[in-house]
Amino acid sequence: MKEELFVSGRNIPNIDPYLNIWHWQIPSYLFLGGLAAGILFFAAIFTILGKENKMATAVKIAPMIVPFALILGLFFLFLDLKHKLYFWQLYTTIRLESPMGWGSWVLMIMTPISIIWSASYVREIFPNWDWKFKFLKDFEAWVIKNRILIAWPMAIYAVILGIYTGILLSAFNARPLWNTSILGPLFLVSGMSTGAAVVLLLSKDHKERKIMGRIDILLILIELFFIIHLFMGFKAGSEASINAANLFLGGSFTAPFFAFVVLLGLIFPAILEILELKGYKVPVIVPAALILIGGLIFRFLIVEAGQITKYLY
Amino acid sequence: MGTVLLLSFYISGRGLGASGAVKNTLAATVNVIAPEHVAKSAYFSQFAGGDNQPMSNWLIFEVLGVLAGAFLSGIIFNRLKLKVEHSPKITSRRRLFFALLGGLIFGFGSQLARGCTSGAALSGMAVLSLGGYITMIAIFGTAFVTAWIFRKNWI
Repeated sequence: MKEELFVSGRNIPNIDPYLNIWHWQIPSYLFLGGLAAGILFFAAIFTILGKENKMATAVKIAPMIVPFALILGLFFLFLDLKHKLYFWQLYTTIRLESPMGWGSWVLMIMTPISIIWSASYVREIFPNWDWKFKFLKDFEAWVIKNRILIAWPMAIYAVILGIYTGILLSAFNARPLWNTSILGPLFLVSGMSTGAAVVLLLSKDHKERKIMGRIDILLILIELFFIIHLFMGFKAGSEASINAANLFLGGSFTAPFFAFVVLLGLIFPAILEILELKGYKVPVIVPAALILIGGLIFRFLIVEAGQITKYLY
Repeated sequence: MGTVLLLSFYISGRGLGASGAVKNTLAATVNVIAPEHVAKSAYFSQFAGGDNQPMSNWLIFEVLGVLAGAFLSGIIFNRLKLKVEHSPKITSRRRLFFALLGGLIFGFGSQLARGCTSGAALSGMAVLSLGGYITMIAIFGTAFVTAWIFRKNWI
């Protein structure tokens, strides 16, 4: 018998030394969640500011994607569950210390709000639509009258949803790459930037595109600042944090991270958007698509790399 | 071109390349669809399958950068539009057909020669490799001859 293997080796399949439990479902869901949070945040904010007609795409059209994005994202999460039929047990308890509990409840609130919000604009966008039942028509009239009342919780919950997509990872204290509180704001800003990209993509109004472009450039700058801060924090931390950062600063994730996320997903689209503001003709689909693809790859890389990082030898 | 080549050696430790990126993308795609074919093929198994990571390669990133840079330059100099440039005497379709045909033959040839104009000729000549000079002479020599034979497509 080889006893030394028992005392010196660590081998719990898929958990230790490397986590191998989260696959494409989780980053895809985090992307869709962040996107939804970004779109709803802009819709709510522009409504509160009284700009729903000036920013028509952001307030009326883009939110129609959100229910589909959220439902698809939740379906991905469902696919990830080991015991699929027990998902409802998340709703039998409220635990403030559980990020998954936060997520479940925030989504429980956000999904219906997003459906109601989009539904209240359906007749404006598709004039031939008929809600058929009187109680639906009454409810629609009530929603239209009380939009600002709905916009406030929508804006607040959108921020919580956006932050939660990062907190879900940073609550994993056994994985140094995830275990940093900056992941919450970073995912929030990244989600908002992808939300702004969707509005840019859908909007046909030149003025609205200009405003969203400006907001997006600002968000990209904040995101770059957070990314630099993330690595500075790791570099100033323990050996485990330094090793986690080194995966992206010379290690195997360096090229995809800097090429697809930092250069093609943030800096290049920001340059294109600045050129557009300066009056050059830029096909808007290019910066918007690059931001969306960059955001998706960013989440894939963070989820993938985080599972590799570890505290012990 | 020379400055770009020098920068390429300085930044990445490798020369320029174009056909290599296409080859690696192809090898990676084949490896996803038919991994057993890659394992059996003497050619593909050099680049994909096993421990090879064909997409984690300098040339892939370089070509993405070329696309981004060209796009940016097109915007700045207001030349960004979709069009087919061809002689007024031939149709767009004929131009595209010959371009595709030429590209296919050149791609095949670049694999026989182990590199294209950028990878074998330019980068090779930069490090004074004899193969680089031979490739350059072969590419431009053949180009002169074929350009004359197919001149009706141009003038």
